[in-house]
Amino acid sequence: MTRTNSAPGLRPDDELADDLDAARTREVPPGDLCLRIARAYAARGETAESLDWVAAIPRAADSFVAWQGAAALLGRLGPDPARPPRRTARVAVLGTYTTDQLTPMLGLALHALGVRADLYEAGFDQLQQELLDAASGLHAFGPTHVVLAVHEGAARLPELSDDPAGEVAREAARWRGLWDRAGARVVQHAFALRPDPPLGHLGQRIPGSRQAMLAALNTALAEAAGDDVLLVDCDRLAGTWGKERWFDDRYWFLAKQAVALDALPLLARHTAAVIAADLGLSRKCLVLDLDNTLWGGVVGEDGLAGLRLGDGPAGEAFVEFQERILALKRKGIVLAVASKNDEAEALRVFDEHPAMRIRSEDIACFAANWDTKVDNLRLIAETLDLGLDALVYADDNPAERELVRRFLPEVDVLPLPGDPARYPRTLSEYLLFETATLGREDAARTEHYRARAQAAERRLELDDLDDFLRDLEMTATIAPFDEVRLPRIVQLVGKTNQFNLTTRRHSPETIRAFMAEPDTVTLFLELRDRFADHGLVGVLIARPDGGALEIDTWLLSCRVIGRTAEHAMLAELAARAEALGSSRLRGTYVPTERNGIVRELYATLGFERTGEDTWEYDLAAQGPPVNAFVAVDG
Amino acid sequence: MDSHARLEEIFRAVLGDGSIELADETRAADLPGWDSLAHINTMFAVENAFGVEFPGDEFARVETIGDLKATLAEKGAG
Repeated sequence: MTRTNSAPGLRPDDELADDLDAARTREVPPGDLCLRIARAYAARGETAESLDWVAAIPRAADSFVAWQGAAALLGRLGPDPARPPRRTARVAVLGTYTTDQLTPMLGLALHALGVRADLYEAGFDQLQQELLDAASGLHAFGPTHVVLAVHEGAARLPELSDDPAGEVAREAARWRGLWDRAGARVVQHAFALRPDPPLGHLGQRIPGSRQAMLAALNTALAEAAGDDVLLVDCDRLAGTWGKERWFDDRYWFLAKQAVALDALPLLARHTAAVIAADLGLSRKCLVLDLDNTLWGGVVGEDGLAGLRLGDGPAGEAFVEFQERILALKRKGIVLAVASKNDEAEALRVFDEHPAMRIRSEDIACFAANWDTKVDNLRLIAETLDLGLDALVYADDNPAERELVRRFLPEVDVLPLPGDPARYPRTLSEYLLFETATLGREDAARTEHYRARAQAAERRLELDDLDDFLRDLEMTATIAPFDEVRLPRIVQLVGKTNQFNLTTRRHSPETIRAFMAEPDTVTLFLELRDRFADHGLVGVLIARPDGGALEIDTWLLSCRVIGRTAEHAMLAELAARAEALGSSRLRGTYVPTERNGIVRELYATLGFERTGEDTWEYDLAAQGPPVNAFVAVDG
Repeated sequence: MDSHARLEEIFRAVLGDGSIELADETRAADLPGWDSLAHINTMFAVENAFGVEFPGDEFARVETIGDLKATLAEKGAG
């Protein structure tokens, strides 16, 4: 960090610009960076921007310092009067340990979920007094939610008892009595059990040990909670976090802090998610990409038999991911598909692949086509009669995720990691599918939505995509074939079905012969953007034919369709044609069952129709073709 | 980021004040908003960021930022 002589509180604009640039290169910018940006905006008096960056911090990794700073900043800025929150709540935190840090973090986590929370915090260990005293600050505050933030030391259970059932029943009854005094929805933190029980392993098989009774107490509280009291499973959270670190006795002795401070963001996020679910903010629909999201590989290129699904480590991971998705469906989450694919081909995987767990009847709205994801997400929301803010979008491709974040900020994007082995847990740890109750009508939801989906179908217009394409900072290498790249070129020529104008399956020998012909143009395309290097994804072969260059082969891999890479290739071909003294380009479309996507390609690129499926571009008359979005460096 | 900048970032975040500038002679207790809670939060954040532990009340005995840096250096974490 550079030291500056700026006035206190004012970071110079160029530092803010640097931080914004750094944040732009990261899909989920780190918390400390978001905090610096939020503070810089706050210092400039730009409250709305500052609050947006504050809201980004809980989405980053759980850093105590970033959360602490963001919570403090949020407290200072207050709500943005210009933007109404999705929900409001009055949340009281009553603790049996020091909750000075947890309470503002809970406010921050709620803010990130669109809940404006007025907070009330009782002093250390005032839980019982505040609940029982009708004249307490708690009751004057008038909460909608009362969070009981407890630690295991607060359970009144002896180290060893001859009457464990009675002890547990009495203690559970005491807590139920406290719940009845809340006058609001209770959010009970269940007890996290310590990692160092005095009786060790013996304690587990002695029902009267404190550790066994604590486990029984958690169960009793859960049973008593029913649909009326919300529970946060703190023992699970402590285990996830690591109990060695969750319990840090030094801080208990020093400050009556029962939860390690750096675990508080996790606790706050989960508590906020449970409250948000109670406020009806759970997401209702999971929208799935297909290729490399539900299965490994690209069905349009690899075919049904070439998909990684079922066998092998990646194949097993995709199956497990599908199982978790089905578990969500059983909980009432509606499933939809948005995929750049041929619909019939995509459906065939669902209906015919033996390892598929999800079947087409599990999907309430199936949008497999060549429109943008933005179009399709809108279509899905409209068809299912859901708000965009009910959707969660899962896609392995960072650029597609960025597109959705940018044009549909209401949609939440699941940050799938690179390795499919980590997909299942990413989904299970996702908090916006928390639901407050498990209603029977939920499980029937898909049926309901399927019926509705069949009724409504209409196309939506897309916002201007140009900015987005420019923002991808695409660069390409476009150059003649060479020996090193030949295997990949042969592979693409052999298997590309969809974006393939002529589908001529040339042998390696034929391709080598083309390479040797002086007037034949061979071009490959390698594409990169600021998210990913897509590798070699385009192939073009054009041969001289009576003063014109005839495009013999032209194909693009499915994964870069919609990126305008074809414009870059055409511009390069035109340049080479002129160098060869050709002023006309000729193209043919050879229809197959699977290449309907390029039927009108030549028309879109400005070619004139000369026959049923033949097209021509006159370089002298029409000028060079335009390539607006892809910088070419090769 | 050097240790001075990291400390400054921690104090700014914990005290919720982006304008804090630390010097070696700065006394933590004189910073605006310093109280026992800020003390605990800062101590924890410094322990975490530098991978050290302050036994007992060692942290409380540190008066100035210069002292703190010296203590961290002694622990091999400066």
